Amino acid sequence: MSAQRTHLSRRGFLGGSLMVVAGAVVGCSTSPGGGSSSGAKTTLNVWYHAYGEAGTQQAAMRYATSFTKANPDIAVKVTWVPGDYSSKLNSSLLTAAAPDVFEIGDFNEGMARRGQLAALDDIYGSAASDFNKADLDEVTVDGKPYGVKMIDDVIMLYYRKSVLSKAGINPPQTYDDLVAAAKALTTKSGKGLFIGNDGLGDTPVLAVLSNGGDLVKSGRAAFATPQAIEAVAGLKRLHDDQSIQLGFTTDWWDPSAFTQNVVPMQYCGLWALPAIKTALGDDFGVLPWPAFKAGGTPVVRVGGWTSVVNAKGKNVDAAKKYVQWLWIQQSDLPKDWAQGYGLHIPPRNSVAASADKLTSGPAKDIVDLATKYGRTNPGTWDTAVSTAFNNAAAKIVTGGDAAALLTDAAKQAQADIDKQLAG
Amino acid sequence: MSTASPTRPGGLPSPPGRPANKAAEARRPRADRRAWGAFALLAGPMLIGLGVFKYVAIGWSFLLSLSEARGTIALGHWVGLANYQTLLSAAAFRDSLLQILLFTLFIVPVTFAGSLGLALLVHRIRRGRAVLRTAFLIPAAVSYVAASLLWKMCLFNGLPSGIANMIGSWFGMSAVPWIQSTHPPLYWIVLVTMRLWLQVGFYMVLFLAGLQGIPRDVYEAAALDGATGLRLLRRITLPMLRNTSVAVLMLQFIAAFQAFDEFYNLFSSGLSGTGTAPVQTPLVYLYNTAMGDQDYGLGSAGAFVLTALIVGVTLIQGRITGFGRNEG
Amino acid sequence: MSGMTTRQALRIARRPVRGLVAGLLMVVFLTPFYLMLRNALMDTKGLTSPHWTWWPSTMHWGNFTALFSDPTLHMGQALGNSLLIAGITAPVSTLLASAAGYALARIPVPGRGVVLALVVATLMIPGSVTFVPTFVVVGSLGGINTLWGIIAPGLFNPFAVLLFRNFYLQFPSEIEEAGRLDGLGWFGLYRRIALPSSGAMLASLGALSFIDSWNAFLWPLVVGQDPSAWTAQIALSTFLTSQTINLPGLFAGAVVTVTPLVVMFLIAQRYIVEGIATSGLKG
Repeated sequence: MSAQRTHLSRRGFLGGSLMVVAGAVVGCSTSPGGGSSSGAKTTLNVWYHAYGEAGTQQAAMRYATSFTKANPDIAVKVTWVPGDYSSKLNSSLLTAAAPDVFEIGDFNEGMARRGQLAALDDIYGSAASDFNKADLDEVTVDGKPYGVKMIDDVIMLYYRKSVLSKAGINPPQTYDDLVAAAKALTTKSGKGLFIGNDGLGDTPVLAVLSNGGDLVKSGRAAFATPQAIEAVAGLKRLHDDQSIQLGFTTDWWDPSAFTQNVVPMQYCGLWALPAIKTALGDDFGVLPWPAFKAGGTPVVRVGGWTSVVNAKGKNVDAAKKYVQWLWIQQSDLPKDWAQGYGLHIPPRNSVAASADKLTSGPAKDIVDLATKYGRTNPGTWDTAVSTAFNNAAAKIVTGGDAAALLTDAAKQAQADIDKQLAG
Repeated sequence: MSTASPTRPGGLPSPPGRPANKAAEARRPRADRRAWGAFALLAGPMLIGLGVFKYVAIGWSFLLSLSEARGTIALGHWVGLANYQTLLSAAAFRDSLLQILLFTLFIVPVTFAGSLGLALLVHRIRRGRAVLRTAFLIPAAVSYVAASLLWKMCLFNGLPSGIANMIGSWFGMSAVPWIQSTHPPLYWIVLVTMRLWLQVGFYMVLFLAGLQGIPRDVYEAAALDGATGLRLLRRITLPMLRNTSVAVLMLQFIAAFQAFDEFYNLFSSGLSGTGTAPVQTPLVYLYNTAMGDQDYGLGSAGAFVLTALIVGVTLIQGRITGFGRNEG
Repeated sequence: MSGMTTRQALRIARRPVRGLVAGLLMVVFLTPFYLMLRNALMDTKGLTSPHWTWWPSTMHWGNFTALFSDPTLHMGQALGNSLLIAGITAPVSTLLASAAGYALARIPVPGRGVVLALVVATLMIPGSVTFVPTFVVVGSLGGINTLWGIIAPGLFNPFAVLLFRNFYLQFPSEIEEAGRLDGLGWFGLYRRIALPSSGAMLASLGALSFIDSWNAFLWPLVVGQDPSAWTAQIALSTFLTSQTINLPGLFAGAVVTVTPLVVMFLIAQRYIVEGIATSGLKG
């Protein structure tokens, strides 16, 4: 499994943006990029999950067209996959219909170790030093990179300045503050905080990290330590207070609940910033997920999407060429991808330096938060592991025995991690 | 089961067109070849299809269940029963089995009673019977996907604008997140009402067919004896519907045990999957294992555990209700 | 005597009560359809408002046109795929089942009992439990993202075989004998005599198979990953699983995928009911 399904890196604001796309798009999503059919020897099949921002699909097609212009013998077929991306990707990878190039959410080293991803050490060249070290480390397995990070997504808390100040509440600095604020902001007509429709979202991960814990450390599942147990158990308070919004129409990666005044505080990503600005002007601020208690640390999650090459595909060389051309050799296109639609941080320092939309206002605050508190999920954090963990958390917040559940989940996770590392 | 049928209970029908058995015996070799040809022609395609998509599939899956097959469906990396061990030690899988059992134990009797009740109601109404029957049957044409969408986004939406919440607000209740509420588990209301709406109509038609098959004079005779109302129902109607009831129970049981569509569509939220859903059916769990974790060995092992369970329960149910005894 | 009169009175009183209950239930059963249509014609603002509207004051038919022009949804193609898939599956699977049912009921070959047992055994292993192995088989035959990959496994329905077998077992042998005197072989008997007289069964099982195939979800979800192989259900499901939400579009999608079946159901209802009555499912 490639993308952490439970984790960030999915976006999609602009409720109803599908409609906008509908009006604007010209081509069909699965038709080969322009200029392809004439004389192309190879057709690359490139998969994207369906980004929510208007214009992204057309942009992906445009990149493909430019690539074919520069490399006339390689045509590119862009497939835009809405819905359950990772399941569709995984089942497709078993067959001849598999994509040559695809993107995955939080990088998963198991896929590399199992030989599903091609090593890309030969396409980085000297550009490797231009990449943010954390982003290069994330995709590196046993010394070789197996993907090129396309964008970094930063996820944190948004809050409404006016609503909090009216209620006489300061932006929460500790988890206790957050719980109190959510409770105080909950009224008859609405809840105080939105962290996900299931009442969990990323919070179990955030809880562990914000109390100084780790998810996986040196190949060992580490989320059953006393401080992790304490922090995850603490999430129950939000549920007991009934101060969190459940069952909204879209999930936490869409800012609708926040922009439509349903909640005054929401956990969401940098990508949603343009939409939030449009809806609320300056009436919002950003915060890291607060430290669980003294001695803990605030956290923001850094996720994003990575472009990878299917090692079992028929056109590995052409696929590598495409990834290299688009994400390593170009600089305008990665910049366009990072700030032209939603907002993301470009993983390449040179590109990031030119990303003018990230240099001021709340965007800059968020970038600074990422530098200071950013945490990336470990490469062994695949669905089997995260599901075990999240299942336990789901039971804990409704009254389950935190220590027993997390210990059991850690045992399960460890079995899976061992399998992954054995390759 | 009556007079002119060529059937011998549990046996084979006598071949048609043979004036006498002895003559048939004499002609056997030639007739056999022709019979074989026709049998192969008529039944062959079905048998080949079942062979490929059931037996080969099951065989392969069995081998996969003994293999470490992550991100691949190739055989070769044998691990014995390790997948079964992993699976049975996973609390989530055991929970899913328990939950599907509870779900089945609840939904089957409720659907059964609901569809029988509707059938009795419709059966006794003279005017407008066809309209009623249609109204109850039409939801059977709706898919679980469409129904999930309606239930999740409209009827049991967690916002004050959801229909259930709006009705609640008329009585002074505040908005409730129906699908996400685990204390009390309100999501069962969502799941059960949806399944009832989709299914009772179809089973009602089965019962209606059964009711129409009960000869009028049976009732008249009973009425002469002074039997009315509930007594008629218990003494005449229900026993006469025995075969229908058994078939309906069987179908409902299998349908309940295979529940997937509504659980997937109600609880999964986009890319986040159904990992934290308050209730997972075994099929949802297996889907996540195979399609999410790419662990096809584990997924196959799960399919076998589930199959064993279904076969076991079916046999027990067959024992109790005598399904298939009247067959042929 | 007075007991009798109360009973009679009760019986008379029961009739309107029964009618009332039936009427109320009918309203309950039809309400979801009304809601679907109402929501499909509203705009997002009206839909999310906590104030109740019985019917939109302005009908937003644009929701439907937007549905078909949305390039990420492929609704038009998905509907076409569904129609094709169900349109092939229903007649083919019914015919295959009828032929096999006839052979198993009528043609005396040794070992027929074993064959029947093998068919019945697959019934115990429900189709969707075998989805992983079947996926493996179809995948290795190159069926992923193809319509035949979606169709093929659904063509073989052991349950229909069993129903047809029961039906043909009860088929009067006199008619067959007449056919045999006219020189028909087993195949001819099936084609000329048995098949033409199984109209109600064919229609009802065919209609049920069409419905099942149109509404199938898990299998097309797994096999049809490329938008070009999506069925209407899969396209609809992406509304529930996509990142953004477009509420009116979602209900418009539901209306569009449900309507063809409802229409078909209204037309075929008589046959379905009739077929069920003859299928041997009844008591």
